[in-house]
Amino acid sequence: MISARDLTKHFRVHRRPPGFASALRSLVHRRYEDVKAVDGVSFTIERGERVGFLGPNGAGKTTTLKMLSGLLHPTSGEVSVEGHVPFRRQASFLGKITLVMGQKSQLIWDLPPAETYALNRAVFDVPGDRFERTLAELTELLELGPLLDKPTRQLSLGERMKCELAAALLHQPTTLFLDEPTIGLDVAMQVAIRDFVRSYNQRHEATVLLTSHYMDDVVALCPRIIVIDHGKLIHDGDLRQLIKTRDPDKRVSFTLTRPIGDDELARLGALLVRDGQRITLRVAEREVPGVIGRLLGELGAADLAIEDPPLEDVLRAMFGEQRRAEAEAEAEAKAKAKADTEADAS
Amino acid sequence: MTAGRTLRALPTLWRIGVAESLAYRAEFLVWILTTTQPLIMLGLWTSVARLQPFAQYSSADFVAYFLAALIVRQLTGNWVAWQMSEDIRSGAMAMRLLRPIHPFVAYAASHAAAIPFRTIIAVPVAVILLVGSGSSALTSDPLRIALVLPSIALAWLITFALLFAIGALAFFLTQTMAIANLYFALYSLFSGYLMPLELLGPVAKLARWLPFRFMLSAPVELMTRTQHRDDLVRLLGGQLAWAAITLAGALVLWHRGVRRFEAVGG
Amino acid sequence: MIRILRLFALQFRVSAAAAMAYRANFLAEGAMSAAWTVLNLVPLIVVFGQRDEIAPGWDRPSALIVMGYFTGVHAVIEGTISPSLQDLVEKIRSGAFDYVLLKPVDAQAMISASRYQPWRVFDLLAAVAIVVYALIQRGEWPSAADLALGLVLFGAGVLATYALWMVCAAASFWVVRLDNLMFLLGSIFDVARWPVQVFHGVWRTVFTFVIPVAVMTTAPAMALLGRLEATWTLATVAGSLALLALSRVIWRTAIRSYTSASS
Repeated sequence: MISARDLTKHFRVHRRPPGFASALRSLVHRRYEDVKAVDGVSFTIERGERVGFLGPNGAGKTTTLKMLSGLLHPTSGEVSVEGHVPFRRQASFLGKITLVMGQKSQLIWDLPPAETYALNRAVFDVPGDRFERTLAELTELLELGPLLDKPTRQLSLGERMKCELAAALLHQPTTLFLDEPTIGLDVAMQVAIRDFVRSYNQRHEATVLLTSHYMDDVVALCPRIIVIDHGKLIHDGDLRQLIKTRDPDKRVSFTLTRPIGDDELARLGALLVRDGQRITLRVAEREVPGVIGRLLGELGAADLAIEDPPLEDVLRAMFGEQRRAEAEAEAEAKAKAKADTEADAS
Repeated sequence: MTAGRTLRALPTLWRIGVAESLAYRAEFLVWILTTTQPLIMLGLWTSVARLQPFAQYSSADFVAYFLAALIVRQLTGNWVAWQMSEDIRSGAMAMRLLRPIHPFVAYAASHAAAIPFRTIIAVPVAVILLVGSGSSALTSDPLRIALVLPSIALAWLITFALLFAIGALAFFLTQTMAIANLYFALYSLFSGYLMPLELLGPVAKLARWLPFRFMLSAPVELMTRTQHRDDLVRLLGGQLAWAAITLAGALVLWHRGVRRFEAVGG
Repeated sequence: MIRILRLFALQFRVSAAAAMAYRANFLAEGAMSAAWTVLNLVPLIVVFGQRDEIAPGWDRPSALIVMGYFTGVHAVIEGTISPSLQDLVEKIRSGAFDYVLLKPVDAQAMISASRYQPWRVFDLLAAVAIVVYALIQRGEWPSAADLALGLVLFGAGVLATYALWMVCAAASFWVVRLDNLMFLLGSIFDVARWPVQVFHGVWRTVFTFVIPVAVMTTAPAMALLGRLEATWTLATVAGSLALLALSRVIWRTAIRSYTSASS
């Protein structure tokens, strides 16, 4: 079980504007800024759940994962993973978790993955027979056979990622932290990895926390998503629920077989996309049956499709809201400050 | 890559080189300290010559020699070989090749830009110490004094070209560290960095012709010893000759390397 | 503890495999280290061409013994200390160091002897050869006690060197570009090829107490020659252990800073 309460992380970042003068100045005096990477995030995750972390770049997802895996000390708040305090990095804790970072590799570059596996086995003190069995299972699931003896630098990105996953799972952890595991991979490989993660989760009842920029990863794999923006948790719950509450309208797409007037189209629903003869409208859920009836009947449209709004649009709207709210708050604060100084001056 | 465009780009290249060298404060400090080995050698040799001169070098002579060597080393030291092999390994070299400035010029500009900042502390201090204390061993011939700066400039060019050539070897070999180390060992001995070349005895004759002498010892000899006028000619002529040779060699090696790089796909 | 030793052995095997992977490099490395050893002897030859002693009490054979110890410690530095710490610096730069922290083994143990240049063992043999040659020249062999002390202090010297390099490597948590610092260490360590008595005044104090490079080689040489007083022997060993402890403290501080434990 994973639990986080009011988890917060501040960083001190050095700010330096471009230019020669400030380059010289930075030699002797540095200006630091306090950045709130994670701001009071709370959630509870039960054993065996698959949870997706979503958010724009710099939202605080990776920072949160690092705090959960013990790599970072929180500035404040409480966190507990499988009964341990992560940042103490006790050996028993480390043996239960694993972190896979899509952008960083733990495989030894010049040597075959098999050597890294041998090293990990020694480090985690995995007994011989258990190691062999785990390796065999992973080799089969991930189709690693021909890859194990080639030096890592000779593997393609996708092959390397599969070997990374295996390296991370040799000690059979019960909690998996996956930070952008499919970044840069082709679609087929993404699907393969998703399937693997799902099957591992089901076989071993392992908890999975996933961050990804690819919506498909999250939609396919995680029934529950946590949305983080600017360090704050703005949604935690069922994926389909999120879409329903945020954007209850459906997307109705069809191909025109004969021309339709704009006003007639407007009566059906709001126009979203017009690509030649292919049209996508936004239609309120309760009006959908009526619209379909009209499209199929008198208007003779073809290739009809009814879908939920894509997760991307929902999130973009959510982040847009967040940003607008913050911009408004900032503008208000500036205006107030200006008014105050003017009041003082007069 | 026209000459005109290259010239116009130089000020910007210089400015960015400065920004780069200021980006990391601690590293900047370390660089100042790194090339201070002559001071350590000075400690050794003044100790050896404390009671009596060593092969006509008195303690004061050694002080003058190593201070001069420190100044020249600070002004001519560069790390372009390491930088190039890093760039090739990391893929940044491919980016450089796409730019309309010849990498030789680009690297040279950024190194030259760093010189004032790297040497801002050590060199003035050394110059003051040199002029102040070891003055009996320094030259007073105005012609030679006038030639010191051009000589240092030529020394810089030879050093840069040679290290550029070693850097270009990274196009051909995966690990050039060993060669760079060998270069530094040879440089230490034959450039006069470890000790004045005359002390090398029979080997000194060979050392007089090798390029290393013209990378450090030549300007130092100008600054410290008395020489006849025709020796001056041989000194500077040697620098010019080696500058031409190393420059040509570096560029040829570079071209071969780039062709191989492009053929292999980077 | 046993697990850590097993880890070292495994890492050695892995590094040896990597070294064998670049066979052409081995020849180059062998040639370079031979050249380096020879070049090192030149200043010694030059000085002893004119003088009988490089410093009071240090004739050619005794200076050669210091040189031998220098070559030996250098072999260990180039053989494992430097490659391992360079690997650490690379890991910090690429971010892969996170994976080290996630392993249930002490991070310092994991990175201290993670990479090897196995061919440097020939440098070690060269060091022994130099010392043996010097002893032959001297015509007098050390007693068993002196020999033992010479070996023990060699170990202490290696540990002190490791600690010094470790402190610099730890600095790479704060300072991004660190290759220069290692290079600086290398050029300072160069001083260790001379007996520390060659230096005077400030220099001698610095190289004995501040950056005890000369003590790493001078003290073992003096022990082998039977010239080291008991108090100095103890002081050297204690100093090495103190440096080791200091490096551990600095390492832990570095890790705490990396994980922002202090903020």
